[in-house]
Amino acid sequence: MLSRTAEYLYWISRYMERAETTARLLDVGYRLSLFPSTKGYNNEWESVLASSGAIDKYKIKYDQIIQKHVEDFLFFDEDNPSSVYNCILNARNNALVVRTSFTPDSWLAINKAYQEILKFKNNKYVSSDLPNLTEWTIEQVNLFRGTISSLLRNDGYNFLFLGLFVERADNSARLLDVKYFVLLPKPEYIGGNIDNMQWSILLRSLSSFRAFRWAYNGEITATKIADFLILNDNCPRSLSFCIQNIVSHLINLKCSPPKVEKIYNSLKDLNATIQQEKIENIVEYGLHEFVSKFITKISSVDADIHREFFN
Amino acid sequence: MYQPNSKIRNHYNNISSWLENMTSKVILEKNAEAETHFRNIGITFSTNNENTRERIIPFDLIPRIFTNSEWSKLEKGVIQRAKALNAFLSDIYNQGEIVKANIIPKEIIYKKNSFEPAMVGFIPPRGIYSPIVGIDLIRTDTNSYFVLEDNCRTPSGVSYMLENREIMMRMFPDLFLMNRVTPIDNYPTRLLQTLMSLAPEKCENEEPVVVLFTPGPLNSAYYEHSFLSDQMGIEMVESTDLFVEGEFLYMKTVDGPKKVDVVYRRIDDEFLDPLCFNPQSVIGVPGIMDVYRTGGVNICSAPGSGIADDKAIYIYVPKMIEFYLGEQPILDNVETWNCENNDDLKYVVDNIANLVVKEVDGSGGYGMLIGPKSSKLEIDNFKQKLSSNPNGYIAQPLLDLSFTPTLIRNQVEGRRVDLRPFCLIGEKAQLSSGGLTRVAMSEGSFVVNSSQGGGVKDTWVLAE
Repeated sequence: MLSRTAEYLYWISRYMERAETTARLLDVGYRLSLFPSTKGYNNEWESVLASSGAIDKYKIKYDQIIQKHVEDFLFFDEDNPSSVYNCILNARNNALVVRTSFTPDSWLAINKAYQEILKFKNNKYVSSDLPNLTEWTIEQVNLFRGTISSLLRNDGYNFLFLGLFVERADNSARLLDVKYFVLLPKPEYIGGNIDNMQWSILLRSLSSFRAFRWAYNGEITATKIADFLILNDNCPRSLSFCIQNIVSHLINLKCSPPKVEKIYNSLKDLNATIQQEKIENIVEYGLHEFVSKFITKISSVDADIHREFFN
Repeated sequence: MYQPNSKIRNHYNNISSWLENMTSKVILEKNAEAETHFRNIGITFSTNNENTRERIIPFDLIPRIFTNSEWSKLEKGVIQRAKALNAFLSDIYNQGEIVKANIIPKEIIYKKNSFEPAMVGFIPPRGIYSPIVGIDLIRTDTNSYFVLEDNCRTPSGVSYMLENREIMMRMFPDLFLMNRVTPIDNYPTRLLQTLMSLAPEKCENEEPVVVLFTPGPLNSAYYEHSFLSDQMGIEMVESTDLFVEGEFLYMKTVDGPKKVDVVYRRIDDEFLDPLCFNPQSVIGVPGIMDVYRTGGVNICSAPGSGIADDKAIYIYVPKMIEFYLGEQPILDNVETWNCENNDDLKYVVDNIANLVVKEVDGSGGYGMLIGPKSSKLEIDNFKQKLSSNPNGYIAQPLLDLSFTPTLIRNQVEGRRVDLRPFCLIGEKAQLSSGGLTRVAMSEGSFVVNSSQGGGVKDTWVLAE
């Protein structure tokens, strides 16, 4: 497989995964905007922007954080590299180049999404359409994932999934980083409504709201949520799950074992920590520090993959 | 579709009754379905226009049909022509027999830009210069076919031939049960076999490694490049994927460098190798020509193949066929006046109102004058261009291209068409069982080029 092909495949699934994350964040922001709060209505848009990592770029463009602008910015804006539109556009441009390396179905899934989002972009839309748009985005990403699951299990397949899990690990960790304080044990909040709401933001934006209920019985606690999102191997968005998948797709690569080994060695420690760690220790050590370290580690894994395989 | 006496030609009977049974609502729906399909699979071509960077070529639902006997004559004629063009290339870059025999004046060949000095004295691996030849044909009456143009460099359009068939089979499966249409989907396999058969003798890979070399996503035929590499299961490479080391060409892969044996290039000669041709080229591979000349890789088509499809050389193709193959040409040329000759120029100027005058280096239906369709002013302007640079022009009579029924705003109307079948020459010579039919979509128009709004049709060859 061409190095460039591998790189494009890797980025296609990163972009598609990111499109979903952005859409889920928008969905969460929209839900919350409908709930009353003491100051009138909730304004979670700032934290939505922060979670998507786009707040600096947003502030260059707009003075005020208001729903209409945030929606535009996160969904359609060409200046926001993580906007759903840009993610789909980039995935599509990459797919155009490497369409020979995956199935026609995968190309079709991406190109159809692109053709449709072009139409949405050209039509005027109102805020009440947002749930449809986010739902549509998630559908497109699901369709794409469905098509890549029927690929030949070759290196292209593994690069696609490496991209997917590197992006997901990064997205989950960033979300935790922005919201880590929600999970810190603060006596005054425990059991209060505000907590539940913040917790549900976290879980919903990681599409894990219902899954959490299935996985944990009894009372909902911050520790349980942290355990679920960081250490639970059964949760497909948890940091632990992502790392395990990065490792398994990495060692499944058939090309150049020395390169694989090099990256694997640098991942080993992180993998071991996350498999053996107890959530109580992480909270004690510092949730924020733990997650920050994790984000740094993931971006160095990403750099390793680029250096070893795509150059 | 019709005979001169307005009766429907037999092989169109099924189609005619099928058309009569289709309501305009169904036609509209099917048209929309075809358009959505083409957009979804991304079969678009790029234009320079910013707003419509990705355009769809209009697709007409009514197929064009050839009987088996009509086709077998075309098949023999096209293969004959493609062989002669290859023989011509081999000759002029080596012995130059045809010049010595005074059949083609040497200045017509050796002064042309498309003649490539870097190829002199070199024979490509397996001796084939242009393994994929597209011949543009027109029909004027029931049995007369003429060759309008040869394409020996990198003829495009075969992806449309294949996709047009796919969409027709998907939308109108019944039609294929009523008519026995020869399949064309083996074309990519045959193309790959042809390219593999041209691997150089130095090839060490067990199976020759073939790649398609594209200039990149901005090229107007990029869809076709990716489509063909997909169908052949080969890598589509850009210049950054390739490099030369020692005597060989390699591509960068995740396993490390991999040796390439055959390059099916869809990039012009000029840009292939900055060390040999245009030094400004950033889409070429430095050193690829050295590897080529020392037998480390084959480049298809060979650089310099373009001389064979030059409009001034076209005039001599019937003579080439006699000279190299000792056969009578099966397909006729359109009568052509070469304005380089004084006698011809005089004739053209005197009769310009009845002629089509084309630039020798022009393509895409641009820069030509259709005498009978032009105003006095346009003709006078063109005469001036002609007299200032007579070497740059040829002229042909305005041929009455055959009409084919075409759906225009839900009505069946006659529109002019041409045909480009694709001939493959490797170990053996073979013709696609179909081709690309291009159709001039506006009434009375003679211009079928897609860059000027021309459309396409599925092209059927009926089985015996």
